Amino acid sequence: MTDRERELEALLALSERGRAKLDRLHSLLTSAGHYGAGATPYTVVYTENKLRLLRLLDADGKPHAGPPVLFIPAPVSRYFIVDLLPGRSFAGHIAAAGFDVFIADFGEPTAEDRFCDIAYYVDGLIRRSVRKTLALSRAAQVNVVGYCLGGTLSLLYTALYPESVARLVLLTTTVDGDVKGGIPWVAHKMGLGGESYDTPRLVPAVEVKSWFEMLAPGSNSVAGRVNDLWDRLDDPPERLRDARTMSTWVDDIVPAPGRLLAELYQQFGPGRNGLMAGTAAVGGRAVDLAAITMPLLSVSAEKDAIAPADGVDAIKSIVPHANVIRLSGGHVGIVAGRSAPVLWQRVAEFLA
Amino acid sequence: MAEDKTNNEPTLVERWLRDQQQWQRTILSYLDSMVKDEDFLVHLGNAMRGSLLAGKPYPTASTAMSDQEPPADDRLDRVLFALHQLQGQLNDLAMTLDEIRDAVGGARKIASAAPGNQKPPQRRPPSKSAATKPGTRRAKRRA
Repeated sequence: MTDRERELEALLALSERGRAKLDRLHSLLTSAGHYGAGATPYTVVYTENKLRLLRLLDADGKPHAGPPVLFIPAPVSRYFIVDLLPGRSFAGHIAAAGFDVFIADFGEPTAEDRFCDIAYYVDGLIRRSVRKTLALSRAAQVNVVGYCLGGTLSLLYTALYPESVARLVLLTTTVDGDVKGGIPWVAHKMGLGGESYDTPRLVPAVEVKSWFEMLAPGSNSVAGRVNDLWDRLDDPPERLRDARTMSTWVDDIVPAPGRLLAELYQQFGPGRNGLMAGTAAVGGRAVDLAAITMPLLSVSAEKDAIAPADGVDAIKSIVPHANVIRLSGGHVGIVAGRSAPVLWQRVAEFLA
Repeated sequence: MAEDKTNNEPTLVERWLRDQQQWQRTILSYLDSMVKDEDFLVHLGNAMRGSLLAGKPYPTASTAMSDQEPPADDRLDRVLFALHQLQGQLNDLAMTLDEIRDAVGGARKIASAAPGNQKPPQRRPPSKSAATKPGTRRAKRRA
């Protein structure tokens, strides 16, 4: 074979590879993708404003028997991260472990919801979700599992209403706002003033998304994302389907109530650090973390760019009996990635 | 035999021609999906932004321009939000009533199930029929 033939051979191989990628992309884009719904059958047991309280059902369409567990995801993202796919559902795993699982789906805020503050969530939506959960499960206490910002709200709720919580699980929940990294810290360093409490706006989803992207270098440029996708098209089809499902969650951020963000920043952001300083309040009521005497599990992720692990593990200094574990993986990966079953099992064992 | 096998292998030119045909098929499959499936256009647009988001367009700054600033007159939104808060308070009341009803119902069940409290069923006074019977005091008052 001559040098020229070898060159042509290489070009042909390159062409075939590129075409195969485009064929794979076409196949992926024409197959049914994840359309933002949970994987496990459920029934809606309570609604209020945009909130839907979901109760998972078994194969016969009946609620699972066992102690109640309430999942509180972050209100600035879609709830289905805890119920992603059949066989890859955190909530489904907990239900299969013998618990009656409820999930708070906060929905998508609209213009008037920009006035929602911490108290609206903690004293309102979460407290009533707990009440409904207890009434339906006929239990005296509920196990609460909070994820990310949902963990912050769960922590505040538990401190104010400890008698209703049996066990508390906080997943990638920042408590030390002074630790380097995370959205509030970066915003502080950039000198951003944050949102207005008095005249809040509904922060557009694209802006919320840009904050997350700010923490993941490369993901905030279109060229970088396209390159990532092009490289990923060499992956086997099942991995591509997983990537599409995850993309449907990561890229489908919801708008955020400006007043909630303003209050979070003012209370827990760098310099204020209200949870560590013991100055946290909800609706003017002081939050006493000493009221949290029930078992508490806090889980951080080694490679978490959104909630830095040190800021999460700091819970040990304000709730000394907290069981703190750090898992390998990122903010989303430990909950819904390929290694997520490690977390699910740890949580199921803790709740048992 | 080995020579025949070698001769049957496509030449570089033949392979190049076949690759060109495959490219045409790939392009046609994209065009076909674009024409037949509106969702495909959305998904393709998302992919061109590096996202595999399904079911809706990738959020862009242009779609959110109208949400950037709070509206000058926010009274309607404040009223709507106050209504949401009221709805929550009403739900709280309803839950409390449910709890009371359940507690009363449970207490009644316990009381009736307790030994010694199981009285023989009594015949209820014929109050309803008496109330409607002409000549009774209630019927007279109604009249």
